[in-house]
Amino acid sequence: MSGFDIFVIILVLLAILTLFAGVKTVSQGYNWTIERFGRYTRTLHPGLNLIIPFFDRVGRKINIMEQVIDVPQQEVITKDNATITVDGVAFFQVFDAAKASYEVANLNQAIVTLTMTNIRSVMGSMDLDQVLSHRDEINERLLRVVDAAVSPWGVKVNRIEIKDIVPPTDLVEAMARQMKAERVKRADILQAEGQRQSEILRAEGEKQAQILQAEGRREAAFRDAEARERAAEAEAKATQMVSEAIGKGDVSALNYFIADRYIKAFGEIARSPNQKIVMLPIEATSVLGSLAGISEIAKATFGGEGAGVASAARRSSGTVPNAGGPPQAG
Amino acid sequence: MWDILVKLGTWNWLILGLMLLALELLAPGVFLMWLGLAALLVGVVSLIVNWMWQVQVIAFAAFALAAVPLWRRVAARNVAGPDSAFLNRRADALVGRVFTLEKPIVDGSGTVRIDDTVWRVNGPDAPAGSRVKVVRADGASLSVEAAAG
Repeated sequence: MSGFDIFVIILVLLAILTLFAGVKTVSQGYNWTIERFGRYTRTLHPGLNLIIPFFDRVGRKINIMEQVIDVPQQEVITKDNATITVDGVAFFQVFDAAKASYEVANLNQAIVTLTMTNIRSVMGSMDLDQVLSHRDEINERLLRVVDAAVSPWGVKVNRIEIKDIVPPTDLVEAMARQMKAERVKRADILQAEGQRQSEILRAEGEKQAQILQAEGRREAAFRDAEARERAAEAEAKATQMVSEAIGKGDVSALNYFIADRYIKAFGEIARSPNQKIVMLPIEATSVLGSLAGISEIAKATFGGEGAGVASAARRSSGTVPNAGGPPQAG
Repeated sequence: MWDILVKLGTWNWLILGLMLLALELLAPGVFLMWLGLAALLVGVVSLIVNWMWQVQVIAFAAFALAAVPLWRRVAARNVAGPDSAFLNRRADALVGRVFTLEKPIVDGSGTVRIDDTVWRVNGPDAPAGSRVKVVRADGASLSVEAAAG
């Protein structure tokens, strides 16, 4: 082996090593930074790249795909002093490999820390109820703050999602009790409302019924009055007709009627069950008078005698129909 | 061993080239292919020209080093665009699209809501509700201008 031989072999080895050092294949989804003597010069994009061996070195291999990092669990105190345990996830993507390499020492840790502190500040400004019900708003606020904060690092945070919010167990239990009480209250109120409504309806019904009854009574009274009026009218008419008939005819016909009624009434008194009391007619003589009236009618019918009796009857005839008048001396 | 190598002569190169190509298939890395091609080239030339083995080795190294720039030039000539031009370039994919400002642009910077996330935008001041068009992507932020109409 001459020196030349050794030189040639070393030269080949160097050529091969140079090839190794100069040809860089960057796969899709990554960007490599190139440092010339330690100073950043350019970024290699996916595909076949050549760099100058000896001068250039690959610095960082940056993943430019969107990445998910877990935001670890932490305890947060809300505005109303409830201690809750919160964890989440953050999605971010590197847009500028150089900045992500050299502007920040440990990108993932920086983003996680930033997110955690901001979760604290955002949730610390809210009540527990708000924290539990306004996750969208929390995510939005976190995103805006963190995204603005990471912009110097050539990174964009696409989303930050709060995963679990766990209040302490006693608080959860209290919340459950509160909800139950709320429901019970609502049920009670509804029941009372129903009762009230039904009472009102019932009273309304009663009122209506009473009104209707009163109206019925009023109507009936009106009708009764009308009937009485009609009856009185008829009576008056009958009386008028009778008196007209009397005016046209003889008074003795009237006397007959009265005598007839008188006798019948007397018979009624006699038949009454109370045998001890015997009602005497007001004027015993007027009975005779009515008898005389009857005889007078007979005379007038059959003609002839008994004019004295007839005159007596005529004298008393004026008193008989006058019922309710003062008793006359017989 | 050495005797065998000397006896084979030119075939050494061809055998080495084929082996390197085979290795490239087994362990993909772009450099073994260039070495293999260079070895094959040297072998073919050795069939025609009778030259010293040292010269052959130097030629092999030279070919290997030259292969990469040559290949790049050939590749650059028939550039076919990749199937997905905007893979991992989300900001560039937004260029030309028009969006409505939720919050005003103040002092040249603001935010726009796009695809359920918030993008930082730089551009002329504009009130909330006005429409802006993305003209350029600068890293993780977008340059916008007032959209016509």
